[in-house]
Amino acid sequence: MIRLLVVGGFLGAGKTTLINRLLARAERRFAVLVNDFGSVAVDAALLAAADASSMTLANGCVCCSIGDDFGLALERVAAGGPELVVVEASGVSDPWRIAQLALVEPGYELGPLVVLADAADLPRLLADPAIGDVVRGQLAYADIVVLTKTDLAGERLVQTREVVRTIRPQAHVIEARHGEVGLAELDFAVPHERARFLATAAHPFRTWTWRDPRPFDRGALRALLGALPASVLRIKGFCGLDEEAGDFLLQYAAERWSFTRSGAGAERALVVIGTQALDPAYLAADFAAALR
Amino acid sequence: MAVRVYSARRVVTMDATTPEATHVAVRDGRILGAGGPELLGFYPGAVEDARFAGKVIVPGFVEGHAHASEGMVWRRPYLGFFDRTMPDGSTAPGARTRADALERLRTLEAELPPGEPLLVWGFDPIYDDGPRLHRRDLDAISTSRPIVVSHASGHIINVNTLVLERSGFSADSNLDGLLRDADGLTGELMGPPAMQRATRVAGGGGLMQRLDEPGLRAFARQAARAGITTATDLQRKLDDETLDLMRRVTAEPGFPMRLVAALGAREYTLAEGVARIGQLLGTGNEKLHLGIVKLTVDGSIQGFTGRLRWPGYHNGAPNGMWYIAPAELEGIVAAYLRVGAQIHIHTNGDEASAVAIDALEHVLARCPRPEHRTTLQHCQMADAAQFRRMAALGMAANLFVNHIYYWGEQHAALTAGPVRAPRMNAAATARREGVPVAIHSDAPVTPLGPLFAMWCVVNRLTSKGRVFAPAERLDVAQALHAVTLGPAWTLRLDHAIGSIAPGKFADFAVLEDDPFDVAPERLREIDVHATVVGGVVCLP
Ligand SMILES: [Zn+2]
Repeated sequence: MIRLLVVGGFLGAGKTTLINRLLARAERRFAVLVNDFGSVAVDAALLAAADASSMTLANGCVCCSIGDDFGLALERVAAGGPELVVVEASGVSDPWRIAQLALVEPGYELGPLVVLADAADLPRLLADPAIGDVVRGQLAYADIVVLTKTDLAGERLVQTREVVRTIRPQAHVIEARHGEVGLAELDFAVPHERARFLATAAHPFRTWTWRDPRPFDRGALRALLGALPASVLRIKGFCGLDEEAGDFLLQYAAERWSFTRSGAGAERALVVIGTQALDPAYLAADFAAALR
Repeated sequence: MAVRVYSARRVVTMDATTPEATHVAVRDGRILGAGGPELLGFYPGAVEDARFAGKVIVPGFVEGHAHASEGMVWRRPYLGFFDRTMPDGSTAPGARTRADALERLRTLEAELPPGEPLLVWGFDPIYDDGPRLHRRDLDAISTSRPIVVSHASGHIINVNTLVLERSGFSADSNLDGLLRDADGLTGELMGPPAMQRATRVAGGGGLMQRLDEPGLRAFARQAARAGITTATDLQRKLDDETLDLMRRVTAEPGFPMRLVAALGAREYTLAEGVARIGQLLGTGNEKLHLGIVKLTVDGSIQGFTGRLRWPGYHNGAPNGMWYIAPAELEGIVAAYLRVGAQIHIHTNGDEASAVAIDALEHVLARCPRPEHRTTLQHCQMADAAQFRRMAALGMAANLFVNHIYYWGEQHAALTAGPVRAPRMNAAATARREGVPVAIHSDAPVTPLGPLFAMWCVVNRLTSKGRVFAPAERLDVAQALHAVTLGPAWTLRLDHAIGSIAPGKFADFAVLEDDPFDVAPERLREIDVHATVVGGVVCLP
C-alpha cells in the first residue's frame, strides 16, 4: 500500500519550503502533489524531466500538480509505484477533507495529517475574524503540527503551543526552525516492538495490535468506531465481518472510517496508533465485546 | 457603403441626448444616429429598412456574467424544474414533480446504448416537498448503468448504488460529504472530493473541460435568442488553442455575438496569469475582447460556501470557504492592475465583498489607477455601507438578481435567513449610493435572459410569489440600463456598445413588445424578434 501524507496549513506557514526540501533530500521514492506547481523550485541539477504539470527528479521522485480532481491525481501517481505520496493541501482548504478520501482510495493508506503553522503568527491568524475559523479548522484534525519560524516567534512560541494544545490536544507538536524537518519526523514514529510502551520524545505515538481471527459483528464494530476515545488516531488492518466470507480492510482516522472488502488473505489484525494516552486494556475490552 | 435606416415602432436608445426615436441609421456596422424619418434625408442614397416596423428596438443586451459552457451543458440531458430553451431552439421541458423527473430518467435510460453512463444536470429539488432523492429511486431505473444526477446548485449530486460501489462508498464508509440514513448511504454526495470521485468512476470525468467550436457557436445562438449582442465567458483558461478558436470564429462576419473572454486566474499561478493577460491585452478584434481577469474569492451562498459576516448562516452552518486567502488578495489585485488588466472579483457573501473592497483600497492607496472599474460579481449581500465604499473606490457591482426568484425562498429559510434574504441584491441601494449596476444570469446556472433579469429586479418576486424588499426594486429604465450600459461600463466597452448613439456598433435587440408598455410582471414574457450585431441581422 502507498502511504499518503497530507500536509496542510495556512498561507505562509512554510508548506512550499518544506516540500522543496523534502524533494531535494529524498531518501525514498515518493511523489508530491501540489496545488501551485509554479512555486516548486527544484534545483536544475536534480531535474531529470519536466512537462507542464509534472517534474521527475534524478532521485526518482516526482512532483505533479493536483489539477481539478484530487482523486484522479492520486490514481495517476499511484501508477508510478511510489512508496509514499505527499499531498500539499492548498493554504485555504481543509486538509482533513481531502485526507479522508485516502480511506477509500484503492491502494492507499492514510499516514498522519501534518499541519504547519507559523509559530510567530498563529495567535494573530486565529484571532482574525475573517480567517480564524479556517485556520482553526485546519488544525482540528492534525496528528502532527509542525511549528515553523520558531526562531522569529520569541515569547509568542509559548502562546502558540498553548493554542495548538487547546484546539488539538492529541497532536504531536514539533518545531522546525528553518523548515528543517526530516521526512522521518512526519510519520507516526513509534518505538520498536520490545519497547512499545516506553514513550519518549522520539516516539510520541503509541501503537497496539489487536489480533483475533474471529469476525466482528458489523453493527457493533460501527458503534465501537463511532465511540473511540480521542487518544486513538488511526486504525488499520484486516478483519472478518459477520458471516461474510473473506476479509475486510478497515481504516479509521479521527472519527471517520471505512471498511472495504479485501482480496488478500492477510492475517486478521488491527494496528491501532494513538497518543501517549492510548489505553490498550480499555480498547481490548471494547474490541472483544464487538466480536460476533 | 450604403446607409440603411431601420424604422421601428419605437427605438429606446439609452442615450440621454436622443432618448426616443423611431429610426436608426447604420453604415459599416456602426450607428450614424437615431431620430425620426428625417434621417433618410440626411444621407443621400439611404435605404429605409422597414422589416422591424412594428417592433421595438433597444440597445443589444450585454450579459456581463455568463459562461460559454452554456453552449455545452445541453449535451447532457436537463432535469431541472423550469422549462429551458436549448441551443437548437427546442424546449427542454422542466420536470415539475418527482414522478416527472424519474419518468424522464427512465426514458433517457432506455434510449442510451449499453454501457454508457446516464449523466443529467440541473436537478432542483427545492421545489419538491417530498423526501430527498434516494439511490433506491435511481436503482429502480438502472442497477447496471452508472447514474449521476447533478443539482442546479452545482454543489450536490445523487448517484445510484452502482456508482457508490465503484467509488468505494458504502454503509461501511463514514466520511464527510456522504449523506446517510438508517439504511446506509442515500446516494446524495456533497463537496468536491466525493462528487469528483463518483463522477469520475461513473465515466463522466473530464467532460466539458475545454470550449470547443460547436459549444461556442451554441453559446452565441443562445445569446442571440435572448437578445444579447455581447456576452462574457467569465472564467476561462485562455490557452492558445482556445484563443485560436475564439479569434477564428468571432472574425466571421456573421458570428452573431461579441465575446468578452475573461482569464480565469485560478487556472494559472499568479506569475503565469499576469504574464498571460499581459500578452493578451489589445489582441482582440471587434467581436473578441480580452483583458479582463476573473478572481474567485468565496464559494456560493446556496452551497454554504460563501463567506458571510455576522451572524453567518441562518441555519447555523459553519461559515464558507475562501478560494483566495484574504491576505493574498491584495497582492493578486496589485499584480493584475499593474499589468493593465481589468479585474472582476467573484464575491457572493458580504464578508468576501468586504475583503475585496479592503484589498482594492490598499492597492489603490499605493498605486492609483484611474478608471480601473474593478467589478464585484454577484456581490449579493453587500449593504449600503459597502456600496458607499465601492462607489468611493470606483468599483461596480454586477448583481445576481435572478437569485431572488430561483433561490430566494431557500435563502430566507436556510442561508441568509428571513431578515437578510429580502435585502440581498439590493440594486436600488447600490444605485442610490452611486455604484454602477449590472445584473446577470451566470448562465448556465440560470438561463441566459436579460429580460428575465429585468423582470427579477423590477418585481423582486420569489418562486413562491413573495416580494423581497420592494424598496430595492428598479424601475424599467433603470433595469434596462442594468442590462445594457451598466454591464458595458463594467467591461470597459461603454464607448462602443450599450446604447444607440453615433459611432457605436450597430448592436440592437429587436423586441415584439415595449418593455415600458407591458405590465412589469409581464416583462419576462416579451419575445425577442431578432438581434442586430454590427449591422448584421440575426433571427433566432
Ligand atoms: Zn459565474
